[in-house]
Amino acid sequence: MVAVLTFVCFRLRVNLTIASLLYLTVVVLLSVTYAVVGSIFVSVVAVLCLDYFFAPPLFSLRLADPLDIVALVVFLGTALLIGRLMAQRKRAEQALQKVLEELELKVQERTAELAKANDELRGEINERQLAEEALQKAQAELAHVSRVMTLGELTASISHEVNQPIAAIVTNGQVCLRLLALEMRRPDDLRTAVERIVRDANRASEVIQRIRALAKRSEPQMDSLDINEVIREAIPLVQREVFNHGASLRAELAFALPPVLGDRVQLQQVVINLLINGVEAMAPIMDRPRELLIRSGHEAGEVYVAVRDSGIGIDAKTAEELFSAFFTTKPSGMGMGLSISRSIIRAHGGRLWVSPNPDHGAAFQFTVPIYG
Amino acid sequence: MKDADAMVFVVDDDSSIREAIKNLVSLVGLGVETFGTAQEFLRSERPDVPGCVVLDVELPGLSGLDLQRPIIFITGYGDIPMSVRAMKAGALEFLTKPFRDQELLDAIQHALERDRAARQHSRESAELHERFDGLTSREREVMSLVVAGWLNKQIGFELRISEITVKIHRGRVMNKMGAQSLAELVKMTEKLELPTAKDQSAKTK
Repeated sequence: MVAVLTFVCFRLRVNLTIASLLYLTVVVLLSVTYAVVGSIFVSVVAVLCLDYFFAPPLFSLRLADPLDIVALVVFLGTALLIGRLMAQRKRAEQALQKVLEELELKVQERTAELAKANDELRGEINERQLAEEALQKAQAELAHVSRVMTLGELTASISHEVNQPIAAIVTNGQVCLRLLALEMRRPDDLRTAVERIVRDANRASEVIQRIRALAKRSEPQMDSLDINEVIREAIPLVQREVFNHGASLRAELAFALPPVLGDRVQLQQVVINLLINGVEAMAPIMDRPRELLIRSGHEAGEVYVAVRDSGIGIDAKTAEELFSAFFTTKPSGMGMGLSISRSIIRAHGGRLWVSPNPDHGAAFQFTVPIYG
Repeated sequence: MKDADAMVFVVDDDSSIREAIKNLVSLVGLGVETFGTAQEFLRSERPDVPGCVVLDVELPGLSGLDLQRPIIFITGYGDIPMSVRAMKAGALEFLTKPFRDQELLDAIQHALERDRAARQHSRESAELHERFDGLTSREREVMSLVVAGWLNKQIGFELRISEITVKIHRGRVMNKMGAQSLAELVKMTEKLELPTAKDQSAKTK
């Protein structure tokens, strides 16, 4: 390349300045593509060629003009500098390349690690979900067990609720038989009696349905509910228990309550639980009436139900423990009722708490958000 | 068993039971009235005829009630404490729901007879008291000594009056009290639950 350039330039008789610029170009090109040694070699060769072919006297390495000497020295210096700069640039570029490659590698490694961590996390989340499901299932089962136990305690109330309509059915049936035995036909009286039999049989059946719903283990079923209806259905089931404890139960239910979203059976369980607790808290009371009051109402976007007793009351220390599992003040209790009630109310997005009454006893209250 | 003059009062908080019993009782020709609570029953104006009460033992506010009539208790389940309570409250019968119709009707019949007899007794007693109140104090003195078995002479001596006067008083007592014989007068005195003159006789001897 240097030779070709020398020949072409020589033939075209270009002067020293142009030739040296062309050589410089070659040096730059070489130093971009080849190693530093090559560019040094080419620089030296170019100086010799310039001296030999272009600087007078021609075809001799001697230099006539001292300016030419300066020019050649400057040329050599520039060529070497360029070579060096280029080499440096190249090294820097290579170093950069290497760093880039290393970075790339590191990124890949990290990505792999992240992916692995992600997988692990996903597995943990899965496990946690399974555990949570198992916990929920266990809780539902516990709620069911406690419900069935409560129903067991309520046997007297329940059998009374079923026995009343059956007794009426039996009497009305006997009235029918007597009417049929009469010589005079009294179809109107007969119809009335039979209609009552049908009505009372339906009533007995409804009670049984309700109890079966309480005894059945089922997935929570969220419906739009009137909490007053929930209370009204629960009251007959505890009525006998109230009576047996020599207590009275009064209901003050707010008119036209907004609906709540909830599981009828679970909320009924809570209401029954609170009523039974209230009745039992009043059992030792001898010097004042054993009065149980259940109220409903709504404020600030929530429907509330409060059960107030005139019982022995609760001190502040006990009030905290009251809602923890297996805590009980009753000799025969399992200590699950309030704990389960609270978890049910929490699952409904509400709160359950207790506060002492100004005079006697305590008031348990829960809230459930208004639906819609 | 037609007896329109008798009343059966049914007190039960369950309207189905009330209706059913009312149906049954009116079918046999008895008058019947129903009440949801004991207080409602007590506040009501009840006709002054023989009657009985069919009462649910589980009603609140029953303790210390004086219903003035024979009571037939009905209950959903009859355990011992409950029967004891019912008997203490003056139960004539104690029936467990559901009961046989004849059982209830027999119990009602029995209770009505009991009430009728009690009313008869109290009416007689009231009449006797009325007659007795019509006696003068001297006549009462004579009467108490007569039924204690004193002779006219003794009575005259005791009261410092003549035997003839004693006889006149005695005749008036028999007449006013409507007694046919001395034995009858003694019986009346027992019914009146008057203090006899025995203490007095003991004193004089």
